Amino acid sequence: MRDDRALGAPAVEGGGGNSPGGSGAGRVLVAVYGTFALAAGARAGVQLGTRFHEAPAAYLLSAFAAVVYIVATVGLVRGGRGGRRTALAAISVELVGVLVVGTLSLTDAAAFPDETVWSAFGRGYYFVPLVLPLLGLLLLRRTGQKSPPPKSPPPKSPPPKSP
Amino acid sequence: MTTFLVAVITAVAALLAVLGIVSTLARRRIGLLHLGVAGLLEGLLLVQAAVAVIAMIGGDTPADTPTFLGYLSGIVLVPVAGGLWARSEQTRWAGTVMAVAAAVVGVMAWRLLQLWEATHA
Repeated sequence: MRDDRALGAPAVEGGGGNSPGGSGAGRVLVAVYGTFALAAGARAGVQLGTRFHEAPAAYLLSAFAAVVYIVATVGLVRGGRGGRRTALAAISVELVGVLVVGTLSLTDAAAFPDETVWSAFGRGYYFVPLVLPLLGLLLLRRTGQKSPPPKSPPPKSPPPKSP
Repeated sequence: MTTFLVAVITAVAALLAVLGIVSTLARRRIGLLHLGVAGLLEGLLLVQAAVAVIAMIGGDTPADTPTFLGYLSGIVLVPVAGGLWARSEQTRWAGTVMAVAAAVVGVMAWRLLQLWEATHA
């Protein structure tokens, strides 16, 4: 059909596996996480490389945030038990980070002379850093419920047929 | 680097974002229309990069040159990466991936202009 070529063929439902990044919506979140990992990483690199002495604490915090985003991205992509646990830890750190740094940057502005990703709850990034961990935790919960990791394999022999 | 060019880029990026969201809502993958608009966006970004590089060779450099160059080279990769990803995506979220890429381009274009104008302020 011509419409399918121009406007896109009907989509496949679901997606899958027990990796949080396996579902379609999960992959969108992974894309956003990847973008932030890159953006925060590049910003931290430039800040540390060109003007570290101006605000070492803020720039080290930028670098730390970048590492957290990278770890979360990797965890979400890898999936499985280990990946989920890694992602959960990284996303929790991220949520605490954005809340603590966000609050401190507003109450004690002198401590944060230059912007970081988490300053003022991520205002410089349209508050995406505040929403992202919430979506991440939601995704981990949802995919966890939908397909729990198969702990005990199903019995190999077929159930005995009733006579 | 002109406000006009950035405005055109933003308009095309916004169109691409809307098209992407529509195809997600319609439970469709992306089609040639999306790829065409993404191609147009990429073309505009390359024009912008050329304009900026020519101006910089002419001695008109922004105050924060490393960051500016980072954004300038990063932004041209976004529609390509988003397009490739969205095309390989089988679910209806392909359009959303495209829309996220378009939104990133829109934000980065204005940030670029801001960095550029830091010299002329």
